[in-house]
Amino acid sequence: MTATSSDRGQLRPGLWATVNERYPGSMITKRDLVPLARLAKPLAESRLTFVSTAGVQPKGTLPFDVAHPVGDYSFRRVPSTATPADLEIHQLKYPTAGANRDLNVIFPIERLRELAAEGTIGGLTPSFFSFIGYNMDPERLERTLAEEIAAAVAADGAEAALLAPA
Amino acid sequence: MQRAIERRGIPTVSVTVARDVTEHAKPPRAVFVPFMMGHHFGVPFHRELQRRIVREALGRLAEAEQSGEIRDIPVTWAQARREGIAIERGMGLRDERRPE
Amino acid sequence: MSLQYLKDAADRGDAEALIRYVRLHLGDGDEARGRAEIDKAWVEALKPLLDVPPTDRAFIHETLATKDPATLAHLFFDLHFYLVKRSGEWIHDGNL
Repeated sequence: MTATSSDRGQLRPGLWATVNERYPGSMITKRDLVPLARLAKPLAESRLTFVSTAGVQPKGTLPFDVAHPVGDYSFRRVPSTATPADLEIHQLKYPTAGANRDLNVIFPIERLRELAAEGTIGGLTPSFFSFIGYNMDPERLERTLAEEIAAAVAADGAEAALLAPA
Repeated sequence: MQRAIERRGIPTVSVTVARDVTEHAKPPRAVFVPFMMGHHFGVPFHRELQRRIVREALGRLAEAEQSGEIRDIPVTWAQARREGIAIERGMGLRDERRPE
Repeated sequence: MSLQYLKDAADRGDAEALIRYVRLHLGDGDEARGRAEIDKAWVEALKPLLDVPPTDRAFIHETLATKDPATLAHLFFDLHFYLVKRSGEWIHDGNL
């Protein structure tokens, strides 16, 4: 796979083309841009949420469905007070070597709590939000899961959101 | 996903390790790190690096002026790994005799 | 739109496209590994039966008779991962 201007510096070049060749049509391509929403208050006064596609979930919740050939379109709430020991990962499609030893490399829950305690961030929403990135129906994802999480994020009083698409 | 949240008036920023995927998906704000998949915030036990990635990403919430812009964070995976190994040695988590 | 791609393949009877997809899914994006994983699951299914231990045939019969085809198909995928996990060789480290 040749590197293009769009993946310069990427550790895994040509990822979009590779995934799209293996799973035709599963990758999203948008033409339009969404207008920027603005912070109503400085970050130090804003309540932040975190959204992850890493399959992180509280132990004891129904494991994400990693077997289904079309994917899992549900999400889990992860209490922002949870410790890494309270959480586990159910996901097969990205390397978890680092996360297995320190969850913060993909789900920086302890770093976010520190930054909130220090006042860099105004606060955290009661829940963070988690799902698995593997799905074969991006239209359904956009129609259902994306809207459900966006509604839950708003209902949780988020004033800003950090996302980490795995 | 990110676009759906932004449309509700909540500013968003994502951390990506796949610039090409992000250019296709066109989220409102993103920062790119040249890290391994699944390691968006760096390496295990490297608190300062993890904090830096979070802070740089959150900085975009106030600073970004153009939707769709992807900002590079000037870090390298090789250096992150080196620093991570040194931190783990300091913590006694890594066997000194085993070459990396 | 990828689901549509698979539905179209099913509609025109394109078994090649469908089996390629199954292998990619079970091989985390590597078709050859997916093929090997399918074989591995069958070997793992065979092994516990070689001593001909008693099994809960009533459960199997009732499950097949009472569950809908989608649930059974879903179970089939879950059993695949259950069996390859039992093999002790787990390739799903995400390095696709």
